[in-house]
Amino acid sequence: MDFLWHEVSEKEKKEIKEEAKDIMDSFSKRLSKIDKKIGESLIERKKCERKEGESSEGDIEFREIMFENAPQKNKDFIIAEKKKW
Amino acid sequence: MVNTQQKLKKYLEEIKKNDQKGNKINAFLQLNPNAKDEAKKIDSKRNKGKLAGYIIGVKSAINVKGLNASCASKTLENYKAPYDATIIKKIKDEDGLIIGMNNCDEFCLGGSGETSAYGPTKNPKNLRLISGGSSSGSAASVSANFCDMSLGSDTGGSIRNPSSHCGVVGVKPTYGSVSRYGLIDVSMSLDQIGPITKNVNEAALLLSVISGKDENDSITRDSEKLNLREIEKIPKNIIVGVLEFKIKDQRIQKLIDDKIKKVADKYGWKIKKLEMEFLDLAVEIYYPLVYVEFFSGTRRFDGRRYGRRIEEVAGPEVLRRILGGSEITRSEYHGRYYHKSLKAKKLIEEEFENIFKKVDCIITPTIPRLPHKIGEKISVKDMYDYDALTIPSNLAGNCAISIPSGEINGIPVGMQIICDKFKEQKMLQIARSIEKLDI
Repeated sequence: MDFLWHEVSEKEKKEIKEEAKDIMDSFSKRLSKIDKKIGESLIERKKCERKEGESSEGDIEFREIMFENAPQKNKDFIIAEKKKW
Repeated sequence: MVNTQQKLKKYLEEIKKNDQKGNKINAFLQLNPNAKDEAKKIDSKRNKGKLAGYIIGVKSAINVKGLNASCASKTLENYKAPYDATIIKKIKDEDGLIIGMNNCDEFCLGGSGETSAYGPTKNPKNLRLISGGSSSGSAASVSANFCDMSLGSDTGGSIRNPSSHCGVVGVKPTYGSVSRYGLIDVSMSLDQIGPITKNVNEAALLLSVISGKDENDSITRDSEKLNLREIEKIPKNIIVGVLEFKIKDQRIQKLIDDKIKKVADKYGWKIKKLEMEFLDLAVEIYYPLVYVEFFSGTRRFDGRRYGRRIEEVAGPEVLRRILGGSEITRSEYHGRYYHKSLKAKKLIEEEFENIFKKVDCIITPTIPRLPHKIGEKISVKDMYDYDALTIPSNLAGNCAISIPSGEINGIPVGMQIICDKFKEQKMLQIARSIEKLDI
């Protein structure tokens, strides 16, 4: 296969899904051979905490551009159909 | 004093000339329509910042207010960035000029620059070949002399890979040293933003501007500030680690081995051979992590607030990761893929930590093979193997740099220097010392 971008048909989507699962299975199989006991990763939070009460002022243009980006909108809200997702 | 307007003019002419030749490199998806005005403003300033006079390209996955952060996808085709990423703010504060948005692999997924929905990026050194990816346009634009420097993002090698193929310098900083606020992510536990430049000194300069703690990216932290003058000094008593593991392409391996020997002889550095037990599992550890985190991150591309629904318009590689990620996160597979990879990632990290107690850096080829022809058929596994030597640094969170190290049949070959976390100063000094050998 080549890796050039193209539109994907439903048939190809199915093939891609199966292929992806096969790849993941082969990877998982190799990882299963690791016999060393592995500990859990810990996330150190202390250094990463955000400081309370410090926030920058909002940008007025942000709202403007966000509405520009929305596919369907009314005056001041974005329209999204229920159950469409 | 460098004149930003004159430099911008020169680069825009170069881009235009290339577009008209019929061999368009396709490194930019959008040029900044305000660049000339911005350049004028910079030139009129009395006290200019550190980046005044530098013209910078930005990967299309990074938000630059008012420009199109499309991720080279149809999903975000008309998406206008509503804010500046933290690093863009920092660049603008130092008077760097953004010339435009660079092409890349669609949603930064790919190692060849071919998966962009707007056509592949060609390699400026040989137009029939891939540029490498995913920061394809960022590397190609620097290599083709369309700008001074650029920003890329690196999840498993996406800065170093195209830098190697295009013959430029690319830095993957330590995980947590550069803010990703404003980056459209692939995999938040691995992504880093970094510079692509024409030489090591300019990489250090741009890195010094963009790194540092950011309240908007909770994994960032402050580290020792880069001393740009010190980078010129040749470090003494360096122990270079080289892997026992050899790549299949003997030509690349020999080129790198010879260079290491040359540098060790010249500077009196020691070479220490290393074995890494889990290195050959890096690809297998990496991809399940990326499939799952990418799938999770793309749930916001539902076509309601912006863009189009990703599943409806994405190309094959993006779909592979979404469909694969969706499949392996099903509850029936609990722990078999993601959790296992996450635990194995820790092994790689520990292995690097132990190694860096014995050596100052590890030097490898950046990419184990030469770039293929654009559109050439290649298996998924072979494509993923392009990043076999770059992925480990992402898994461990180390810093790494790719510098040009010679050519094979006119095709650039990159050398990768990996250092311990937050040892960018040492890494850049080593890289600069090696770069000096060729001057």
